[in-house]
Amino acid sequence: MPKETMTSKERVAAAIRLEKPDRVPVAPLLPPEPIAHLAGMTQGQVAADGMNTVEGFKKIFDEYGGWDVAYGGPITPDQLQAIGMYPMKMRIPGKDTDDDDIFQLLEEEVMKPEDYETICDIGVEKFYKEDLLYRISDMTPKDVEKAIENLMLTGVLYLEALNARNINSLFFVYDNHPFFTLSLMRSLIPFTEDLYYNPDIVEKAIQRMADDLIVKNLQPAIDSKSMGINAWLFIEERASAFHYPPEIFERFWWPYTKKIVETFWAEGIVTIFHLDTCWDKNLKYFKELPRGSAVVGLDSTTDIFLAKEILKDHLCIYGDVSATMLATAKTEDVEVYCKKLIDEVGKDGGFILGSGCAVPPDCKPENFRIMLETVKGYELNK
Amino acid sequence: MYEELVNGIVDLKKDLVLKIVTDLSKKGDDPLKILEECRNGMTIVGDRFQKGDYYLAELLLSGEIFKQAMIILEPFLSKEREQEKAGTVVLATLKGDIHDLGKNILGYLLKAQGFEIHDLGVDVLPELVIQKVKEVKPDFVGFSALITPVFEKMKEAEEMLKNEDLRDGFKLMIGGGVTNDDTREYVGADFQTIDAMAGVAYCMKIAKGE
Repeated sequence: MPKETMTSKERVAAAIRLEKPDRVPVAPLLPPEPIAHLAGMTQGQVAADGMNTVEGFKKIFDEYGGWDVAYGGPITPDQLQAIGMYPMKMRIPGKDTDDDDIFQLLEEEVMKPEDYETICDIGVEKFYKEDLLYRISDMTPKDVEKAIENLMLTGVLYLEALNARNINSLFFVYDNHPFFTLSLMRSLIPFTEDLYYNPDIVEKAIQRMADDLIVKNLQPAIDSKSMGINAWLFIEERASAFHYPPEIFERFWWPYTKKIVETFWAEGIVTIFHLDTCWDKNLKYFKELPRGSAVVGLDSTTDIFLAKEILKDHLCIYGDVSATMLATAKTEDVEVYCKKLIDEVGKDGGFILGSGCAVPPDCKPENFRIMLETVKGYELNK
Repeated sequence: MYEELVNGIVDLKKDLVLKIVTDLSKKGDDPLKILEECRNGMTIVGDRFQKGDYYLAELLLSGEIFKQAMIILEPFLSKEREQEKAGTVVLATLKGDIHDLGKNILGYLLKAQGFEIHDLGVDVLPELVIQKVKEVKPDFVGFSALITPVFEKMKEAEEMLKNEDLRDGFKLMIGGGVTNDDTREYVGADFQTIDAMAGVAYCMKIAKGE
């Protein structure tokens, strides 16, 4: 039987560089929720302690034969709030809901229109840490400090677990796009009203936030190169043509995105986009980014085959076995779809096969397994 | 003025629309006529969305304008009841899921087309759906989902409705980003969409007996 000729790290790096590796690399996006499910834990356990997620990760990585690079990781809801990744009210399993319920976010207008000025004046980091955080959570400043401390400790143990398995994390630094952050804080409808009825202040806030985002994330991303990681994760779930017309996209999203990606790329750092919803009409813009400067991660609502056609030999593509497929489809259907992805999106390289958005918290174990096994075996056995 | 009202909704001029609705209502114009013109505006927005000229943002904004216009019209309309309704719809996001954007959009778009909406909210137990179906005898029941674990609850609700001999009385619709035709089949629903306007078109078609 033909053998792999590259290590996982080499394979992923080659795909990002738009080369053709020995086989397509595979990297399921695994936040704590599916880890709990696949490792036989409750949602409450992973929400309470990131160490449970680390243990769960180790268990499923070893049981399912592993994958090429880690995407996702151990972070609890209170830690997500502490660092501002989800600036929203939450329902936390085992605390606000049953132990086996899924962690969820509440779409509420927690940021008020007058807060735009504050963000322009003091920056979103300070606004969030000193004000908004306490509107959405009952944490005290001490709790916040403790949550961040625990996150760092868990992170170290997680990286050790990855090292022991000879894989890397796809990124160390991650952040939401300023547009997405504002949409989460204002909530979708009020933010949309702001974009149409008070565009100037939104634009001013996004300009400030984009500059601050670079200052906050660039140096840590440069530092993470010492761990062999030369990428960072940039998340956007609400800016595509699924939600907004081109004039909104062109004014409030694309110029800042381009500037941010180019700034990171100037330091040799690749932007991993996590792009939810349908980006079919927006894909052409990504051609303006420097070749190889980003990975376009799609959630299965964007036509990944169209993305390949447009971005071929320009940007690496990630995706997109959908959550619905992993949760409900027949195993043979998952296998057929993975083979199609490998044959059509992966054929010239520049492709990482993964889940469309995250692996769902009710993923069928047999579907998770067939996804990994198909990617690891199909091309080499052809 | 009515032309300005319709165009105002289509062009998303919220302040203008609300001023016109207020002025016309105070002047004693027929509130049903005002409502009808608002609905005409919403229909044009919907058509533009289906043609791809408008995006979800425009649907959301026109829906907000319509909702606020309804608040102004409501005291005048209550004197004019009973309006003819296009049909009755029960909507819910079932137990385990608290996302409701899609459901809310469908709710106000259907309302704009004259449907009576009973929105049970989020995190709803299937038992409450049964109770509401018995009470209002809807033409449509709609479940929305943004996370896959709620498919089980949809299926459970459908089976309970069947066991109670209620299932033949309405069309069951499901929607939300994670649903597809396989989900529809799994749940036993009659219709599935991730596009609110397609949901409206489906309800209109069935309501007209097409």
